[in-house]
Amino acid sequence: MSVLVEAHGLGKSYPRVFRRSDRFRSLCSLLAGRASGEVTPVLQGIDLCVPRGQSLGLIGDNGAGKSTLLKLLTGVLTPTHGSVRVNGRVGALLELGAGFHPEYTGRDNIAMAATLQGFSADDLAARLADIVAFADIGRYIDEPVKHYSSGMVVRLGFAIVAATRPDLLITDEVLAVGDESFQKKCIRWMEDYLEQGGTLILVSHSMYHIQKLCRQALWLREGRMQASGDVFEVTQAYLAHHERKSAADEARARDLDAVRGLEFHVRAMRVNGEEAETLPAVEQGAALTVEATIASRDGRVPVVNVGFARADGTPVYGVSSDMDGVQPAPLPDGDFRIVLHIAELPLLPASYTIRVHPLDSEGLRLFDTVERTLTVKGRSSESGLVRLAHVWEHAAPLSRSRGE
Amino acid sequence: MLALAFQLARRDLRSRYLGSFSGGAWALLQPLVQLAVYAFVFGYIFRQRLPGADAPGYVPFLVVVMWPWTAFAEAVSRGTTAIQDNASLIGKVALPRAALVLAPVMASFAIHGIGFLGLLLVMLLAGAGLAPAGLALMLPALALLFLFALGLALLLSALQVFVRDIAPALPQILMLWMFLSPVFYGRYVMPEWVRPWFDLNPMTGFAEYLRYALLNMPAPGLRAMACSVGAVVLVLALGLFAFRRLQRHFEDFL
Repeated sequence: MSVLVEAHGLGKSYPRVFRRSDRFRSLCSLLAGRASGEVTPVLQGIDLCVPRGQSLGLIGDNGAGKSTLLKLLTGVLTPTHGSVRVNGRVGALLELGAGFHPEYTGRDNIAMAATLQGFSADDLAARLADIVAFADIGRYIDEPVKHYSSGMVVRLGFAIVAATRPDLLITDEVLAVGDESFQKKCIRWMEDYLEQGGTLILVSHSMYHIQKLCRQALWLREGRMQASGDVFEVTQAYLAHHERKSAADEARARDLDAVRGLEFHVRAMRVNGEEAETLPAVEQGAALTVEATIASRDGRVPVVNVGFARADGTPVYGVSSDMDGVQPAPLPDGDFRIVLHIAELPLLPASYTIRVHPLDSEGLRLFDTVERTLTVKGRSSESGLVRLAHVWEHAAPLSRSRGE
Repeated sequence: MLALAFQLARRDLRSRYLGSFSGGAWALLQPLVQLAVYAFVFGYIFRQRLPGADAPGYVPFLVVVMWPWTAFAEAVSRGTTAIQDNASLIGKVALPRAALVLAPVMASFAIHGIGFLGLLLVMLLAGAGLAPAGLALMLPALALLFLFALGLALLLSALQVFVRDIAPALPQILMLWMFLSPVFYGRYVMPEWVRPWFDLNPMTGFAEYLRYALLNMPAPGLRAMACSVGAVVLVLALGLFAFRRLQRHFEDFL
């Protein structure tokens, strides 16, 4: 497979220009062929290799440098460090209406965009009808772009890209502006394009779109590469990071001394035999055992509750031993132990928290909480929390498959 | 890049003249009004000060230099702000940046070139003493003037991105330059000791050559011509150098 996009040590910095004299000083040093003084880095050390036919999703928080990276790849910006090489024609949808002149009509802007893409007048004439049909904005095609709604601008932009069929398609979060039917049309076009060997680099905050369209993902964080690789692993790590971030505010440290004085407390908790707070990732559908050892002050038998919650705190499932008519069995040293076994974990890939609570013998008062973080990995693009057991009926095999 | 510059120039001309009520006529009308004003001021009011200005040949004398000058001045001043004016394009679309400067220079020379040609043909038919062979002879001078304007526009547009004082100062400088060049007058009206200094102004060579070619007036000396050609080469080289050096940093300073 030939390499379409290659970047080594790519970085971009902006000069710090505050005073009027700064601009003049920068000018002098740049003319002399030197660097321009103090800079603010926005992107550093990006290594990238996208083979032809591959698709890459870029994810990251606002300000992480995603758009800057795209602009470096398209050649809109020139890199401060490193190099980037693209062996093909690039079509880019970067910002809403970028490259469109508001005073000119849709047709004029199509002509301009085609020239920028390197198409001759004949090529353009041959494709104009296609573009107009794809954009589907009716009589607005002959009106100045300044009269367009933002959705129409995106329609026109996408129509041009679609008609020029670039080797590499780069899109930023612009498609979100289009209406439902147009978004679907775009997704369908992109799937079609990928199937025919097109290459895509996509920025989106919708993990659904990223997972649907991309096989590889790159997570940018504060201008650096946080993770890259298989789309499912990277997006799950990214989502887990966010879920933990929002849950972190609520997390409280467990006060061991206070807990010891209680009627019951958790002496040990093991998940799949591990006692660590953060467990090794578990495959979706794998077996899971949660083992709880409870210390009882007065020798009474506790009820044990095990709860599963997503890392952001959304409860998924909770069950107590007494609900199932069992209780922990005593150990020689006076503690009680019970093991919960789940044969096939139905949790969808994401990050979860498993909690163990001892309750009094009546199952009414809750005494202690110990939790573990569990990451479930997998390639599923189902949405939600758990996989519900299901079968499809009255269904035929899928005729169109993405060329795996 | 050339195709892109053509497209940009075409678009520029269309928006400038088609959007206005009078359309393309305005491009011709404006220098005509200017010509009328100058002909009136210099040919009538100041005729004592400007020997020969009241002669019937003063209008052709003015036309053959004023039109190229107008094209040149407009090309330089529009080219200078080209990068700054297209800041929105530079941060968003990948395109050869020199095309943005080339476009207004081409547009200015195109629109005023057409006006110039039309006016010359009218004068030729009206029998204003124009040399028909001059129409071909003037072409190298106009081509050099175009390159001169392009070089200056490249240089100034690159500098303008960093130091914004250039564009506001430019109209005054161009005005001063116009009056220091033999546009409204011939070098011969100046005192004897000043005349050799005119050779140092690159515009002198252009003006005198155009009058030599079209009106059979005395040819400029070798020194004036050398100065003009030298200035074009120097400015073009300087403009290309500065533009190449600075263009990758435009987006950081716009």
